[in-house]
Amino acid sequence: MKPLDGLELKIAWFLRIGVITAGVILLSGWLTKFKLSGNPLFNFQTYDQIYLTDLIQFHLKNKDWGVLLSYAGLVILILLPFIRVLLTSYLFIRQGEYRLAMIAVAVLLGLMISMSLGINI
Amino acid sequence: MFRIEKNSERHFELKPTKKQTKFYNSSMYDLLLLFISLFAGFLGALLGLGGGIIVVPALTLFFDVDIRYAVAASLVSIIATSSGAAAGFLKDHLTNLRLAVILETGTVAGAITGFLISSEIRSSWLYLLFGVFLFFSALMMFRKKHDAHTDTNHPWSEKLKLASTFPNEKGEKIFYNVAQVPLGILSMYFAGVLSALLGIGSGIFKVMAMDHVMKLPLKVSSATSNFMIGVTATASAGAYFLRGDIRPEIVSPVAIGIIIGSWLGAKVMTRMRDTYIRKIFIIVLFIVSIQMFFKGLSS
Repeated sequence: MKPLDGLELKIAWFLRIGVITAGVILLSGWLTKFKLSGNPLFNFQTYDQIYLTDLIQFHLKNKDWGVLLSYAGLVILILLPFIRVLLTSYLFIRQGEYRLAMIAVAVLLGLMISMSLGINI
Repeated sequence: MFRIEKNSERHFELKPTKKQTKFYNSSMYDLLLLFISLFAGFLGALLGLGGGIIVVPALTLFFDVDIRYAVAASLVSIIATSSGAAAGFLKDHLTNLRLAVILETGTVAGAITGFLISSEIRSSWLYLLFGVFLFFSALMMFRKKHDAHTDTNHPWSEKLKLASTFPNEKGEKIFYNVAQVPLGILSMYFAGVLSALLGIGSGIFKVMAMDHVMKLPLKVSSATSNFMIGVTATASAGAYFLRGDIRPEIVSPVAIGIIIGSWLGAKVMTRMRDTYIRKIFIIVLFIVSIQMFFKGLSS
């Protein structure tokens, strides 16, 4: 069984690149809004259930590129841990660590089930 | 300043918001949120927590944001803390990757169970029970003061090669064994159940289980918990995101602050003495226990 040093570094590299990419995109979107508006947090004192698809349509219609850019950053950020588990299982297989690879796949399946149920973990 | 008003399934209009004349009608508030999030990310990375204990009260109490948006933002803060700090922790060999993957099975299974039994359980009693539990755990940790250490490696740990090394603040490699692996998985299962029942990030339970049950050094517990919480939060965050509760206007400054803070926290943690991290953890544990106790009384 090989040591996991190489594997850890690959996952670390992936997470670093992912976080920097998401961070830069979010920052760009935020700075655009920051210049244009006063205090966007006022809009969220009361809860309005508006689905993502409707929000995206609204911002597309208003050509609110800053918000849309931020959404892109959020997608990357939210998907990072999912892809990390997927990458971990793939790298475990390449290392010949089949037992750990299977466990990682089981975690991924569990996450998919909980996501489909809308569970708050 | 305007807000999006939904007056039919697919039609919106812009309406002025309330309280526009308050003193914080400036973008400086966004900057304040950025700095609070930076601190939350720093503390989260240092202690293996998601930062929700800072982000949620800050958003609801200081910025008057509705609790549902605040909880959704805290989920993103957990992911940002986890991913932001994980790279550094993995590189420094603080995260036990094998152990994290194994323990994640317990958390995910527990969360599914918690979801299935949630309609049968009264959350107010759970808040009270775990408020008291955390308070006494904090007292126990306060009395212990130093990292637990075990000379015996559990057979599962032997088989899955979970025992490892981590660098201390002087850069020396310290070897550690892993005790009571099945009990550790069971603890993570209960952490998952609690998360689903109470809607809280379970970083604090994970760190405690690794510290008390599996006898891991606190730095390893914190880094491994940090690695795991991102995975568990992403499942909920996906659902919240599709439902439209994760709003970039709130989450952007939070995520940016958290990413920077968690990166700094990861840098500092490797150089910090275990005893200091333990002291900070105990203080946070006391605060969370009181917070949970009062939440139980009020709900």
